[in-house]
Amino acid sequence: MNVLVILAIIAVMVALRFLKPTIVVWAIAWWFAVFAMANYGIDPPVPTSVTNMFMAIVTIALLAYVTAAEGRMREAGESLVAFFTSKKYFIPLVIMLVAVPLLVAFNVYSSMTTQPAPPAAGRTIHPPPPATVSFKGRTVDLNNDVNPYRHLEDDDSEAFAQHVDNGRRVYYENCVYCHGDNMAGDGHFAHGFNPIPANFQDPTTIAMLQEGYLFWRIAKGGPGLPVESTPWASAMPAWELFLSEEEIWDVILFLYDFTDQRPRAREVHE
Amino acid sequence: MRRALSMAAVLAFAASPALAQEPALGTQAQRDAGKVLYEAKCAHCHGLNGDADAVGAAYLRPAPRDFTSSTFKFRTTMSGELPSDDDIRRSIREGMPTTGMPPWPTLSRADVDNLVYYIKTFADDFSGPFGIPEMIEIPKAPSVSAETIARGREVFVENQCVDCHGNGGRGSGKSAPTLTDQWDYHIRPADLTKRWTFRNGSTREDIYRTFNTGLDGSPMPAYEIEPIEDRWALVDYVVSLSADEPNYATAVVATPVTEINDAAFEATPPSLFAIVGQVVEPGRAFYPGISAIEARALVTADQVAVQLRWNDMIADTRGMNGPDLPVDETERWIGAPDTSGTFSDAVAIQFPTETPEGVEMPYFMFGDRKSSVDLWFADLAGPTGQHYIGNGSGNVRAGGPALGLRAAYDDGMWTATFTRDRNVEGHIGFDEGAFVPVAFSVWDGFNAESGNRRGLTSWYYVYVDVAEKPSPVGPMAGYGFLTLLLGVGITAFMRRKYSGA
Repeated sequence: MNVLVILAIIAVMVALRFLKPTIVVWAIAWWFAVFAMANYGIDPPVPTSVTNMFMAIVTIALLAYVTAAEGRMREAGESLVAFFTSKKYFIPLVIMLVAVPLLVAFNVYSSMTTQPAPPAAGRTIHPPPPATVSFKGRTVDLNNDVNPYRHLEDDDSEAFAQHVDNGRRVYYENCVYCHGDNMAGDGHFAHGFNPIPANFQDPTTIAMLQEGYLFWRIAKGGPGLPVESTPWASAMPAWELFLSEEEIWDVILFLYDFTDQRPRAREVHE
Repeated sequence: MRRALSMAAVLAFAASPALAQEPALGTQAQRDAGKVLYEAKCAHCHGLNGDADAVGAAYLRPAPRDFTSSTFKFRTTMSGELPSDDDIRRSIREGMPTTGMPPWPTLSRADVDNLVYYIKTFADDFSGPFGIPEMIEIPKAPSVSAETIARGREVFVENQCVDCHGNGGRGSGKSAPTLTDQWDYHIRPADLTKRWTFRNGSTREDIYRTFNTGLDGSPMPAYEIEPIEDRWALVDYVVSLSADEPNYATAVVATPVTEINDAAFEATPPSLFAIVGQVVEPGRAFYPGISAIEARALVTADQVAVQLRWNDMIADTRGMNGPDLPVDETERWIGAPDTSGTFSDAVAIQFPTETPEGVEMPYFMFGDRKSSVDLWFADLAGPTGQHYIGNGSGNVRAGGPALGLRAAYDDGMWTATFTRDRNVEGHIGFDEGAFVPVAFSVWDGFNAESGNRRGLTSWYYVYVDVAEKPSPVGPMAGYGFLTLLLGVGITAFMRRKYSGA
């Protein structure tokens, strides 16, 4: 939230209220206030496609508001007619008649002279996993297999700590360069890649996923993504070529341990 | 504001000897809380005992700080002294760009204080008579002007900054290859043309602090430049060498021209791409010698040319290099740099061999078994460009169309220009308006980089610009006029219908 912008918008709207504007001016003011709020009041910025959709809804809502009551409707009609016919509004009318075509011309100019953008590589945040993956000839059932070392957390804390430690070694040998020291996806090579590396501190990443899903993403990497997930855009390597199955399960234990997150629990269906 | 107040408090504290008797070591409870946090977040790299003997330390260069050594690079204190508490806080909060130490903005003020008190238990010096270091003062910065920048250049030369940082500030001074830190690792002078990589921060105050205090443990000494105006002039000169931000690009535009020459390249804007280490395939480069590469591109009716520029500490033109060289799998990058001239510097541009259909592209590291990549390779020890085809790391072979190459090294910067026929049967084409995927690899011979041990980028694009663009004037005038007509029409209609109403 950009507090200064929001305060400025509120101040302008309150000041306008005291001027008792006509319904048309008031609706237009609301439109611009919402536009300024959506584009400059929110930090980090909202994507243009989202603000455009939002503004379309706001436009319809304002039209609906103005036309919903007969009194407002009549008032709006009268002030529109006055704007076009009254001598009082002659100068603003001329300004509008000149400004709008200029704006249109500028829009045409900028759309014809900007360089086209590179093809956008969409990103599926959590692409659907396959039911099974083959790992060095063995089939791993992603839906039903569990992390074979997870049970040690309750059964044998010493053995569990050893697996976490092994995961720590694997992480610092292989993952830290991109996913970072505090696992926020901000390693010292992260800036070289787009999409940026996953942020495990974010509660919408590993905390929303089962360990089998992580196994799939680590073992198969970017090259193993399904077609609809725009494969190859991700620089995540297929770690099955370099790590053993145990190392992958161990590093998964370490990811949850370091970030104080829990894997998503299996949903039980009757 | 709070920060400024606490800064002022620390300064006042240090300046008044009556009060400055006891170093701030925190309470036992604070140190205990710091220990818990340290062991959860910091010990992976800095070690349980603060001695940087830890699982993360082996693969991180620059190496994590050894807190038991009492040597700290980033201080607001005199050379050889311990850092102030605020210095340690700043290092935790801001991190060090392009190293394994990230910023920790999520830690609360109390968390950081507790960490500082705990870190200070690793060396006795913090609690002894050296525990209250002598601070340097950073006066308010005067305004910048062309004169101060010009004076700064003189100060830069007078103080022999050129010897290490190079004439153009690219970190390529004549003593640069011989520098070592206190642990005898080779250490590179900062590339002053990339301010965003400064580990001690990139604001004017940060730069002022860096050369006034020196970076203890590294060859960067503390400078006492007089008068103080000259110190700020030096800061202004360093700041003038680079932009605030790298502004990395996602595409390079290939501009249509009638003839490919240096003037045409100079007339096109460069695109900067970040280079990172290849840390997956055997022969991993954990600390690549090159951090960014700049690209420009031109097309004529029958030729395409790509010019690459990157900063390199020293031109290695002895020995040889190739993308297909097998790499000694031992991680010897940690040891001394290769000064024997075994490997020359090299660079490669990578395109998919065939225009990809849909979104699938060959794997960014030299392609994959299914889809191959073209590599335009330059071994900078030799005068010719070599073409390779890659089907994955370890599966790269020579072959393909002829390439033209011109390369030169000047004042810390390589410039290499490749040319190829625009249309070659069976290889990537450069049609008008097309986005052609491109990636780069660069090898630093001094850093013993060859084959898979290299710096690289992932996929970006070359946009082949359209030679004859339609003029926007006609459509602009047309649409503008139509809108005007519409406005006048509505006004006339309203006036006729409601006049006198």
